[in-house]
Amino acid sequence: MRAYVALVWAVARKDLLVEFRTYERLTAMGAFTVLVGVLFNFSIDSAVVRPQDIGAALIWMTIIFGGILGMGRTFRLEEEDGALAGILQSPIPLDALFLGKVLGNFVLLSMMAALVFFVFGLFFSLSFSGNPVVLVAIVGFGVLGFVSLTTLFSAMATRSSMGESLLPVLVFPLLVPLVVYGATATQRLFAGRPVVEVSGNVRMLAAFAVLFTVAGAWLFRFVIEE
Amino acid sequence: MSHKQTRWAIGILGTLGVATMIVLHWMVFFWVPTESTMGIVQRIFYIHPAAWWVAFLGFGIVGLCSAVYLWLGDERLDRAAVAGAEAGMVFTTIGLITGPLWGQVAWGTWWEWEPRLTLALILWFIYLGYFLVRRTTANPEQGKRFAAVVGVIGVLDIPLIHVSVTWLRSLHPEAVILNPESPMNLERSMGLTFGVGFLAFTLIFACLFLASYTVAGYEYELKLRDANPGGTQRAEA
Amino acid sequence: MARKWFSRWTTAFLLGVLLFQASPVWAQAGTVLGRQTLGRAYWHVFAAYAVMWILVLGWVVSIVRRLRRVEERLGKE
Repeated sequence: MRAYVALVWAVARKDLLVEFRTYERLTAMGAFTVLVGVLFNFSIDSAVVRPQDIGAALIWMTIIFGGILGMGRTFRLEEEDGALAGILQSPIPLDALFLGKVLGNFVLLSMMAALVFFVFGLFFSLSFSGNPVVLVAIVGFGVLGFVSLTTLFSAMATRSSMGESLLPVLVFPLLVPLVVYGATATQRLFAGRPVVEVSGNVRMLAAFAVLFTVAGAWLFRFVIEE
Repeated sequence: MSHKQTRWAIGILGTLGVATMIVLHWMVFFWVPTESTMGIVQRIFYIHPAAWWVAFLGFGIVGLCSAVYLWLGDERLDRAAVAGAEAGMVFTTIGLITGPLWGQVAWGTWWEWEPRLTLALILWFIYLGYFLVRRTTANPEQGKRFAAVVGVIGVLDIPLIHVSVTWLRSLHPEAVILNPESPMNLERSMGLTFGVGFLAFTLIFACLFLASYTVAGYEYELKLRDANPGGTQRAEA
Repeated sequence: MARKWFSRWTTAFLLGVLLFQASPVWAQAGTVLGRQTLGRAYWHVFAAYAVMWILVLGWVVSIVRRLRRVEERLGKE
């Protein structure tokens, strides 16, 4: 068990180290966050719509769009350098490889999500009076579910002639429960509603995240094999 | 099933299907009375839920066959899944078009985010992803596996999507006076027509599913023959 | 080939959408729930059944075409 966790961490650590040397994905996702915030600001006529009313929705959509942008490159490095063959020959269990990738992506996307909340809170003067722990749980489970699905499908997209443009087509329909429960819960928390109104959402998000992390880990072997 | 038996089955199912469709059309346009609350547009309802039923049947086949295909690797399961996906795509499209056609008159808008229509739209795109992944993957064997994974994930997610969309809808009980769930004044003749509609669609689905599956079998046989020009490989029917 | 297939399906879907959009009663404003202009309702019912036939027959045609292609090539050998 400990060896397994160590393997998962090894994969994640490698990806994170590479990322923190080049900052490629983080730069893209970070710039995306701020720029989208800017564009949203110009696209919303604050005389007609209060940005505070739709702040949570904008946040979630930005996380999703930025996430797709960043996650598409999950396996790019392995494909380009032919490292995949090497990894497949090593005795690492494929589900551990998947979970390691998911963990790495989770860290990166969580960082982006935090940035989104900060930037959008700043740009749209969003005030938060709810329970921060619950918010972290909501975003955490949401990001995990998103990352699991996207990691699985990005392995497919890398082999497709459509490349990364296939990813949104595959992933977006499946994200509906995530958006429904996540955005609604976030909106309620921002509106200062009691935690009780949100607990069901947290459970559903957790169920979604667990289901697709496990399913992804099991199905990954069919996706990664030659 | 031998080739001859399959062709017989397709022929019989097809004939029965077309016959039932003709009967259905006669019933819908000449026999069944107009429903009192919805009026003439309610006649779309004799094909609309039947289309949904077949779409979900197709999708169920995709999910089941995809899962077992990944497990066993039998080509026939993949072919069955594709045939099911084709059926699902066709009938989901029918549902997505007949729904708003009914809805424009009944609700006053072309589109409503009501759970079934929403689910159908999402389902359509999951099917689209299934086919895209198959066609755009360089290695066709890999493409089949990828598509199967899409099928399995899709089937896992659909119940969640349905629950979430229904829950969201329940938060905003808009005054949809004529919603598909509300009880219509169903006379016995209407119930019968509904039944005939379901039967007709199921028969047509079965016939075309089998036909598509069989043709896929021939195509596979051809591919094997191309790969082994001198060999004596025969694909199983 | 993927693009041809994809564009075919998209075209089919769009044609379906255009079909009912091109309905001559499109110009009318939204109706009161439940009240129906006789003409529009008939149009919609007709369009619904027409679309169903077009799509089902379209599938039949595609299967037949595939069969023809396969039989041609199997026949050659």
